[in-house]
Amino acid sequence: MSPHGYHELDHPADLALRVWGEDFFVLLRQSALGMYHLMGIKAEENYIQERQSFLISKETPETILVDFLNELLYLVEDLGLVLGKFSFTEEDESIIIEASGRKIELIERNIKAVTFNDLDIREIKSRVETIITFDV
Amino acid sequence: MAKITIDSFTKNSEFEWEIPPDFRSDMRVPVRVFASKELLLDALDDKSIVQAVNATTLPGIVEAVMVMPDAHQGYGFPIGGVAATDPDTGVISPGGIGYDINCGVRLLASKISAEEVKEWLPDLATVLNQYCPSGVGVGSELRLTKNELAEACVRGARWATAEGYATADDVRHTEDNGCLEGANPDKLSERALDRGRTQLGTLGGGNHFIEVDIIAKVYDEKAAQAMGLREGDIAVQIHTGSRGFGHQICTDYVRRLQGTISKYGIVLPDKQLVCAPIDSPDGQDYLAAMRCGANFAFLNRQLLANKIRQAFEDSLAGKVSDWQLKQVYDIAHNIGKFEEHVIDAEKRTVCVHRKGATRAFGPGSAGLPEEYTSIGQPVLVPGSMGTGSWVLTGTETSMKRSFGSSCHGAGRVMSRSQAKREVWGEDLMKRLENQGIEIRAGSMAGLAEEAPEAYKDVDLVVESVVGAGIAKKVARLRPLIVIKG
Repeated sequence: MSPHGYHELDHPADLALRVWGEDFFVLLRQSALGMYHLMGIKAEENYIQERQSFLISKETPETILVDFLNELLYLVEDLGLVLGKFSFTEEDESIIIEASGRKIELIERNIKAVTFNDLDIREIKSRVETIITFDV
Repeated sequence: MAKITIDSFTKNSEFEWEIPPDFRSDMRVPVRVFASKELLLDALDDKSIVQAVNATTLPGIVEAVMVMPDAHQGYGFPIGGVAATDPDTGVISPGGIGYDINCGVRLLASKISAEEVKEWLPDLATVLNQYCPSGVGVGSELRLTKNELAEACVRGARWATAEGYATADDVRHTEDNGCLEGANPDKLSERALDRGRTQLGTLGGGNHFIEVDIIAKVYDEKAAQAMGLREGDIAVQIHTGSRGFGHQICTDYVRRLQGTISKYGIVLPDKQLVCAPIDSPDGQDYLAAMRCGANFAFLNRQLLANKIRQAFEDSLAGKVSDWQLKQVYDIAHNIGKFEEHVIDAEKRTVCVHRKGATRAFGPGSAGLPEEYTSIGQPVLVPGSMGTGSWVLTGTETSMKRSFGSSCHGAGRVMSRSQAKREVWGEDLMKRLENQGIEIRAGSMAGLAEEAPEAYKDVDLVVESVVGAGIAKKVARLRPLIVIKG
């Protein structure tokens, strides 16, 4: 099994993703990739990438993950941007996220929000993993 | 917790079951399920009943947590759940209302017979698809300033009347006259306002749709006549909600309450049940913001109705005898409201959370249009796009047993990923077209997820609510045109 990745789980009505990574920030990157995959996002090929940055307040790992993904959802729906090449800088009370953004050419599916439903980020052996439920 | 099985329930009747409050030590009230045994067993296959048990632990909850026969697993609360809390000792929970605040259904009646319009249906489908913005990230032609949006959120459907998008009759035939009092835009985030400015009058994606249906069978002539529904005529359904505006409001408050719940000493079995005492600044702020989302959704469906009327006029004027559309009713199925109900023989005001459940007020209830006073409130139950939908009415029993609530749809039985694995969108489109249904869909993958086989049989759901006495059949509709984002 790869040390990091994501896998879509069957959910009766909404969408769920199992995500894992070597550390918390890898988990965030994989969660972003997994969510974009669930949405069927295709970026424009020849678009000059825009640097984007935003702040997430540093509370529990679960709130950081939900805030991070909800910020990405906002950028998808309202600015038509998909982000990649994330870098994370920890400050005392926040995490600064920098990334490059590309314009979206196609979205197959809407996600309304990232939920806290049974959300529990756990360290298992040498990796961090969780299951995220998305409201669609 | 012990595993929930059919033996965990007390059978009140063929269509009403209860889990007593001693089933789990933290339960405050029973779980009451309205379903046939078959649908109850289906519900036990996912976490919907466990989620209902979790919801019974909320402070100030009264009577029971109700579960409708179309229930399926949600996040925190089950979809198809109804819970009422005491305003003085109870809580308000955004999860009990949902991200799509005031997602709901509007039904428009016509005097056009399906036979008369048959040859024009493909054109009508195309024009409806052109006039009604749909799909992920598709905005409205209407661009409001933040101040205009704030005003619209406070005035609800009255804003649409003033701007020429609604008639007084439309407003009168909308739940709560299309406006929840107490909306306060000062309780909204800048982001919510920003998202809402460009989304009024849009359908969105997912399970939202516009349908033109034939009224295939009338079961209650008196009620159908009061609603202007005649067998063989066509009618239009609109299913959508508060779009990204409502999602942002819910996201903002679920997040805020995660940080404040500990100060109230409330312990929850699931983080997504997060809540605040109604009588607290957090609870009051959420209520004021949620009402903005609800009013936005009433407006959203009104603006779409206006577009649909334009499409009917442009496609059918001069071709059919009367192209006009009259509003039957508009109802919410994701909402929280203060209502009066009789509990333990005492009339009390309670905060009713309906998540994936429809208000179903019985005959004589306050707040209904005059023509519905004797028949009860119309209850609109859309099914899957290949089968049918129902118009029901609320009953005296719904007022006594379910806080005046009933089912809201068919309810999913197949996950979206399974539906996509098993159904090809193109094949489904051909199959539906062979059944005489015109489909206009933005995404074939999205269409596959909404395949009829992914849903419960809406007829069985309706048999359960009718069997339980919490609704009465009026008419069954069958789709002729389906527009999906």
